[in-house]
Amino acid sequence: MTAPYQGAGREVGVEEAELVRRQSNIWRDTGRNVVHQRNAIVGLFILGFLVLIAVFADQITIYPPDQVLIGVVPGARPAAPPCVHAFGCPEDKPQFLMGTDPNVRDEYSRVVHGARVSLFVGFATVGFAIMLGMLAGLVAGYAGGWGDNVIMRAMDILLVFPALLLAISIVTALGQSLINAQLAIGIVAIPIYARITRASVLSVKETDFVTASRALGESSRGLIFRRILPNSITPLIVAGTLGIAGAVLDVAALSFLGLGAQPPLAEWGSMIGLDSGRLFSAPWLIIFPGIALSLTVFGFNLLGDGLRDALDPRLNR
Amino acid sequence: MSPSRRWSLKYSVAAASFAILLAACGGSTASKAPSAAASTAPSTAASTAPASVAPSVAAYDGIAYPKIAVDCKNRPPNYTGEFAQIKAIDKLTVEFDLCAPDVAFLSKIAFSTNGIQDADYLAAHAKDKSIVRAPNGTGPYKFKEWISGDHITMVANPDYWGDAKAISPTLIFKWADTAEKRLQDLQAGPETASGIDNVAPADFAAVSSNPALQLINRDAFTILYLGFNVDDAPWNNEAVRQAIGIGIDRKRINDTFNPAGSSVADYFTPCSVPGGCEGNPWPAFDKAASIAALKAANFDFTKTYDLYYRPKVRGYFPNPPGVAQDIQAQFADLGIKLTIHVEDNATYLSNSSAGKYSLFLLGWGGDYPDMTDFVDYHFGTGANKAFGTKFKDLTDALTAGATQIDPAKRIEIYKQVNDLIAKHVPMIPLNHAASAAAYQANVTGAQAGPLGNDAFWPVKPGDQPQIVFEQNSETSGLYCGDESDGDSLRNCEQMFDPLYTYKIGGTDVIPNLATSCDPNPEGTVWTCHLRDGVKFHDGATLDANDVVMTYAVQWDANSPLHVGNSGAFDYFPGLFGGFLPKP
Amino acid sequence: MSRYIIRRLLLTIPVLAGILILVFFLSHILPGSQCRALIGERATDAMCADFDHLHGLDLPVYQQFVNYVAGLAQGDLGASVKTSQPVTTLLIERLPVTIELSFYALLFAVPLGVLLGIVSASRRNSSMDVVTMAGANLGVSVPIFVLGLMLAFVFSYLLKGTVLWLPPSGRLTPGLTITPLVVSWGLEDLKGPLRNIIDFFSNIYTFNALITAQWVIFVDAFRHLILPAIALGTIPLAIIARITRSSLLDVLGLDYIRTARAKGLSDKAVVRHHALPNSMLPVVTIFGLQVGALLGGAVLTETIFNLSGVGRAVSESIASRDYAVVQGFVVVIAIGYMFVNLAVDISYAFLDPRIRLQ
Repeated sequence: MTAPYQGAGREVGVEEAELVRRQSNIWRDTGRNVVHQRNAIVGLFILGFLVLIAVFADQITIYPPDQVLIGVVPGARPAAPPCVHAFGCPEDKPQFLMGTDPNVRDEYSRVVHGARVSLFVGFATVGFAIMLGMLAGLVAGYAGGWGDNVIMRAMDILLVFPALLLAISIVTALGQSLINAQLAIGIVAIPIYARITRASVLSVKETDFVTASRALGESSRGLIFRRILPNSITPLIVAGTLGIAGAVLDVAALSFLGLGAQPPLAEWGSMIGLDSGRLFSAPWLIIFPGIALSLTVFGFNLLGDGLRDALDPRLNR
Repeated sequence: MSPSRRWSLKYSVAAASFAILLAACGGSTASKAPSAAASTAPSTAASTAPASVAPSVAAYDGIAYPKIAVDCKNRPPNYTGEFAQIKAIDKLTVEFDLCAPDVAFLSKIAFSTNGIQDADYLAAHAKDKSIVRAPNGTGPYKFKEWISGDHITMVANPDYWGDAKAISPTLIFKWADTAEKRLQDLQAGPETASGIDNVAPADFAAVSSNPALQLINRDAFTILYLGFNVDDAPWNNEAVRQAIGIGIDRKRINDTFNPAGSSVADYFTPCSVPGGCEGNPWPAFDKAASIAALKAANFDFTKTYDLYYRPKVRGYFPNPPGVAQDIQAQFADLGIKLTIHVEDNATYLSNSSAGKYSLFLLGWGGDYPDMTDFVDYHFGTGANKAFGTKFKDLTDALTAGATQIDPAKRIEIYKQVNDLIAKHVPMIPLNHAASAAAYQANVTGAQAGPLGNDAFWPVKPGDQPQIVFEQNSETSGLYCGDESDGDSLRNCEQMFDPLYTYKIGGTDVIPNLATSCDPNPEGTVWTCHLRDGVKFHDGATLDANDVVMTYAVQWDANSPLHVGNSGAFDYFPGLFGGFLPKP
Repeated sequence: MSRYIIRRLLLTIPVLAGILILVFFLSHILPGSQCRALIGERATDAMCADFDHLHGLDLPVYQQFVNYVAGLAQGDLGASVKTSQPVTTLLIERLPVTIELSFYALLFAVPLGVLLGIVSASRRNSSMDVVTMAGANLGVSVPIFVLGLMLAFVFSYLLKGTVLWLPPSGRLTPGLTITPLVVSWGLEDLKGPLRNIIDFFSNIYTFNALITAQWVIFVDAFRHLILPAIALGTIPLAIIARITRSSLLDVLGLDYIRTARAKGLSDKAVVRHHALPNSMLPVVTIFGLQVGALLGGAVLTETIFNLSGVGRAVSESIASRDYAVVQGFVVVIAIGYMFVNLAVDISYAFLDPRIRLQ
């Protein structure tokens, strides 16, 4: 399961939180460091490209992604190979940049519109997981004692339970749809962010300036929002970016198994799953969505790596 | 010789000597498990039972089950079955006493779940469920081994009673869950697969045009329908349902999504079932008239309604998402907005049978060629709540039809039934989907009958030493009395014989283990005469007690042998009305 | 040390109890009845009422849970409703498949990953380093199912007929059967836990074939594992390469390394004798995480390559509501995962004496 595969990000993020922030302007420093990181630049480029595609999907495609084209485009056949007139495909065959799927829909349009779905899936899932994980970690770290124990044991149980199988159970219980798949993956990812938040809360809780602030009469809420939370933001951002990559992969995996996005929704994982039987006869139906998926995840991974390197003051530059 | 080989040789010699000794003394041996293949580790070559022993036949001791016949006029509470008693009259005669005439009796006893088991074998192996993975039948193939998760091997039965002995010495069943995987295996060559079941509709053309393969069509014996729960608004208005009935272009659905050989359904039942296509056919598609009728019925076009389906591919339903989306599009053409809900398989079946879906897609694959298998199950008094409240005129007609012996009168009743269905519209019949199997081109004798009862003993796998057949899923168990999926049933059909059987590739019934089964004039007593000299795979001889016990174990829910595999025995109540309940 | 181990073992008990409760109630609140999942369209209400009563499904859920735990205490994990096979039997059949697959996946990932990490760290910022790390990044980005399908496409289709062809599915070529260990050793009549253990190892085909000298079977089984092992092992390979590199770089920047170099030791000796052993800690951590993830997550690989392993067994059992199978398998997987974690944590003490197990 990919969430634990992002173990690198999770583990370093925790160490990250144990360091106290420098007092200089973190944003200016970060910005400068990010720009110097090759990884982050390339990642940003890829993601920028994907966002553009997602935003202008309708403009750069001819047919809608779920429209069956029998009768609409003369000569359109199911699972037809890519035909580009400029590259030598005879003029009497209809032009399809990436071929057609078995239901005679434009594969190119489906791949392009899939970018919208995947970007939405990534951000929504991780946003949900961070929100709940942060809450859990905050309560656990700040309250301490019994509450801490109970919450962290619950997180342990979620972590030890095989992740994909837990996700499958949740989707089966709630019904097979993209939203439920996101919910399932989000639930499975909560412990990661809970641990990060808790670690950074703990690291800050006992420091001098917090004690001093409390002595000066600062309220708990002010303490949380102005001292503790900002400390956990950077590891959460790093983990979150890497987590988006994982979320996109995991929701695609669920859709591949038939448990997430349902046809005719053009989601890359679901497209690959439905057409995996045609691997030998129509491989383009798997190659193109596969490249798109890999590229998206690659972009987020690069960006996450770059952010982590930029925000880690220990790495020699 | 290696130590392990020497060791097992020693044991085989000892076993053989013991068997010869026993045979010489003339005592009868109890039936043994035919093979050592328990399901744990991958098992090896079969250890077939020692040579058979002459049975002792001093005096015949036939069973009557139950000992005291059920009193049909004074039925036990909750007994809905049709049997009163099953008796072994003499060594080769069995009598079935029914409470009411059953016109479809011969079709029912020919069904796969009624393959005859040996009574002693049942006594020894039914209780601990070992019978599920170590079958003992009379069929042309006998069981060799079951490598769990991988394949099942059967070998030809040299002592088969029938003329049609198995041509190929070995028959292997394996499985792959998608049509594309099966086709890939078939295309990989005859060593990987001689034949596959259920070719994907999109691949029919590819298989037909491939000179190395042959496509064998399976006639449609299925129905796909769009169901209404007649108690839920807005479908609780009969005029609305009738309007939608003419508003769906069923031909478009059939042409777009179904393979060659499928047909538009003008009746609920395929026409190969006697009485299936009596009465007026479904009214023709007329979009304008449909919209007018909807408006006349004050249909609320402003609301959005729900359509449910499950994405599971079935014989009657090769492309669920495609059909669901097309139905949504066609409703949109009528001005009705639908939201599609996709449900997981188990959830869908539970909810639909409880009547929770007001508009849903479902279907049925026929088991035996009689109206009672189709219409009674869905619209009769015992039907579940999927369609909501039942229609009394329809259920009454169905009850009359199930007990009417006169064929001409029966046809009249079913004419009425079909007209009532078209009037009340509990569902709209969409189409009868056909399917197909595919084999290597040099395989001869392969068939694909509408009932799915493919016989492999007449099949010659070209120049291969074995038939390798790939089906849709792993067999769940080889005790067919308690199996319900087509793959398991097809598996045991090769190893077991029922009293009657369906003609190969068709739906007519012909005598099998019984030379004849004759009814009395009222149709309430069926006397079956068994063949002489039929042997089970473990050497035991067939007699009337075996037939009685085969049925009794399924019928009597109190019997300690009524264990089966999952314990459901779900075909029995459907075929014969119900179990003998607990006293 | 032993106090630490005992304490850790005691801590696993509440987590295991939690897992058991979670999986039990999760499977039982799944909508859709076991009866209808099994019987399909033909199930009637009367039939399912009898079925539920027969299998104890009409008892209140907490009562069913108590019965289940009571059975567990006696070593009875229940049975599959569909095939009546005991869950223990299914475990003995399915778990070895996943373990064998994971073993070869890690055999592919760990040595190669560590090697790549060392090479990248030694030649930091060279083109070799950049390419390797970019490749590693790509490795964690390509989904397993895409990678598996692409491998099958290249090696089973494009290279068909060549010497490089690899089979796309299954464990053995049809027609080949492996002799179980109990038969090879003449122990068919053995029963009980010892028999279960022998059958378990017997189902690890490559191991079985190796120790009974069935060379043809060994080669065939191994060939069937190559593609799935690569597909499953690519992500761990990439992660291990990255972690080895970053951990080695961290260590190489420390003072004692500078001292070693100042003493005149060659780079290779420095890396091998001083840097490498001390940088293995994070690698071992990740290794532990990967093993756990592999055990639970081989569903996708098993689906693509048609291997009947644990992941697929559970996902199919969830769909068919075969509760006993889901519960038994998940609990066993969780136990396995926790023991691997424990082993990893204990190994810290040996790898780095500075770490005190607390």
